Amino acid sequence: MPKFAKNIRVLRDMKARRGVKDNEILRRAYLYVARNETLPPQVRYQAQLQLNTFDKYTRPTTVKNRCTASGRGRGIISEFGLCRTQFRLKALQGFLPGVQKASW
Amino acid sequence: MAESIAPKLLKSLARLRCSIFQTTFNPTSRRTGAKYLKARLRGPSMVQYYPERSPSIGDLNKMYPGWNLVDVHEVRRNISIQEHKDRGKGAPKKAKNKEESRRTKKRR
Repeated sequence: MPKFAKNIRVLRDMKARRGVKDNEILRRAYLYVARNETLPPQVRYQAQLQLNTFDKYTRPTTVKNRCTASGRGRGIISEFGLCRTQFRLKALQGFLPGVQKASW
Repeated sequence: MAESIAPKLLKSLARLRCSIFQTTFNPTSRRTGAKYLKARLRGPSMVQYYPERSPSIGDLNKMYPGWNLVDVHEVRRNISIQEHKDRGKGAPKKAKNKEESRRTKKRR
């Protein structure tokens, strides 16, 4: 099994991902009611209030793609889910099929 | 030369088009919130982003209560923490309130 960094930021991100998955359908339902202009304003307002009661880690915007090897939050090459350093290391070791060091 | 078409006709044409292609007739472009229901769910793919971690010794002990495996690193860590504490070099106590916290004490 692959090893990866287990720091608090990665754990927090995993928590957010789980929260998003668990609450997604309910949140979507409230969003539908709150953003629907054909419904009465009171109903929409109530739905918006309900949306505000959700935990921080149920919003998809709290999820950040971090490096799957080192947990770094910046410089991620999304195609591989790795930060630039880990991408370079793994590519040089030949773990990324099809990736070659440029030379001309 | 084509004559300009009456807006009423255009509207009825749009309604007919909607009934044929099974779309919602929404001439005033009001927001119906349909996009929140139509969009695919993002959660299932989100939780698969990180590769699965191999279970730690603590995890194994939790999964199989009878095993009682010993995590050498954890034992070593606890010993070194105890040694630090005995020498008075342990981690400071958590502040119970704002007055106790070092952050406020430093600022003057």
